[in-house]
Amino acid sequence: MTFISIEFLLFFAVIVFTYYSIPHRWRWILLLAASYSFYASLNSYFVLLLLASTAFSYVTGIIIEKQETKKQKKRVMLAGICVLLFILGWFKYFNFVNDSVRAIAIYMNWNYSVPYQEIVMPIAISFYTFQAVSYLVDIYKGKLKAERHYGYFSIYFAFFPQLVAGPIERAKKLLPQFKVEQTLKYENLSYGMKRIAWGFFKKTLIADRLAPIVASVYNSPDATGSEIVLATILFSIQLYADFSALSDIAIGCARILGIKLTENFKQPHFAVSIGDFWNRWHITLSTWLRDYIFIPLSKGKKKRSEIYLVIVITFLVSGIWHGAAWTFVLWGLIHGFYRVFGDHTKHVRGKMASFTRLDQSPSLHKWVKITITFLLVCFSRVFFRSDSVAEAFENAKLFLTPHSWRPAGMIDALELFSLLDLMIFMFFFVIVQLFHYIERKNTSTWDWLSQRPAFTRYAVYVLIVVSVLIFGATGQGFVYGGF
Amino acid sequence: MKNIEKYRNAFIEALELDENEALEELALGESSEWDSLGHMILISTLEEAFDVSIDADLMTEFDSYQSGIDLLTRMGVDFVNE
Repeated sequence: MTFISIEFLLFFAVIVFTYYSIPHRWRWILLLAASYSFYASLNSYFVLLLLASTAFSYVTGIIIEKQETKKQKKRVMLAGICVLLFILGWFKYFNFVNDSVRAIAIYMNWNYSVPYQEIVMPIAISFYTFQAVSYLVDIYKGKLKAERHYGYFSIYFAFFPQLVAGPIERAKKLLPQFKVEQTLKYENLSYGMKRIAWGFFKKTLIADRLAPIVASVYNSPDATGSEIVLATILFSIQLYADFSALSDIAIGCARILGIKLTENFKQPHFAVSIGDFWNRWHITLSTWLRDYIFIPLSKGKKKRSEIYLVIVITFLVSGIWHGAAWTFVLWGLIHGFYRVFGDHTKHVRGKMASFTRLDQSPSLHKWVKITITFLLVCFSRVFFRSDSVAEAFENAKLFLTPHSWRPAGMIDALELFSLLDLMIFMFFFVIVQLFHYIERKNTSTWDWLSQRPAFTRYAVYVLIVVSVLIFGATGQGFVYGGF
Repeated sequence: MKNIEKYRNAFIEALELDENEALEELALGESSEWDSLGHMILISTLEEAFDVSIDADLMTEFDSYQSGIDLLTRMGVDFVNE
């Protein structure tokens, strides 16, 4: 059962009906049963692992709290984190490390005989492991009391709307919300349904329509440079639509249950720098990395060069978190390099903007920065999307070749679309951009829409639902569902 | 040295500012020196100067010269009766 299915919508409707029909004291049991059932429908074998990780984190949290000295607390916290990371490492990174060591052994002519292991990665393990780590660290720091109610704690670990692909929530924010008695509110129901519909819209009309086109280029052994450029730009659009749709559905489902999750995206492709991009893309991962990797490693650093190294390490962790492959490691390093290079050259770039008088046209200057940032992000995604390092470098070379950017070549590359597909994609892409435009002018498009006449409002809602039903493409899994 | 002088010197040292610069109006993100990286260096410098530990939640509260004084005051640094 995936988010994009009638089964999920029916399942969710039953949960919502039951949730508001039973007394508050029984709701945690319902949410827990729903969460484990949902996870079992995706990955039944690994429910046991989820249960074991939950029990381990629960007990470790209490043990940390019971230690008398800060040193003892730290020791238990580190031991707990090591166990959680070992489990993550075993399932996600064993073959990556094993293959890398084997490649080195062959190159160095060593005798290395650990065979390849058939290890299936449990869905959502990266997400719930990061939530568990933040839980233990926050208890150690005294920001959070160890949760004693095993049921509520288990929901924090497995809450089905955000279990598969986030947002990565902190216990301090999520746990108290489960304990508050929620009543069915029209605004929550209305807002939640709109967010879910909008998620379906982006997923089925943008992401899943682009996925086969992007795959046809990236799986082709003889793609042209212009095709790689176009497919990479389309992949950026696909990835945003795909992942932000997941977050929309998660936020919408939780809101209907009265739970507020953290926003995960703020129009990242309108970022004016790489730093700004990471404040807008997968925000809950960025803030997690900031709070639990970047800031602790930056402590005591009083030189920019030292902080640069911490930035590179943080992005390296981000890359490895995304996937067990050297392409993701390189993707992380590229972003680390972007961030360091951007900081190191900010004065020079400021002078250039002044010399070219670009700084005298703030609007033009802003759009130039948005374009450059978007292209830098696209270039990094060549590595994110390619299946191997060799292919990534080949594709990156094509992406950087000026010949690939010829208008005539780009127009030829548009033949990747059928005329009908192109028109459908363009129509819905314009709608998404219109949504973003309104959001940039107002704080929320949904609030803006709620102030329109009823006819306009319902016309938009009908357009969203009918478009999904008629033109929606399904069958593609979520890209971030695999992390 | 008075705490307010230590505080001022931390800004000058961490953000590589001119000694005569008016610091009272400084705010995070409003000058090229006090950007997100400069902020981390400033935090490290203040932590060493005042022997305190400023964690992630408090860092976001510290977004101006004045709010830094307020934050350190809450952490026990006396800027008035020293």
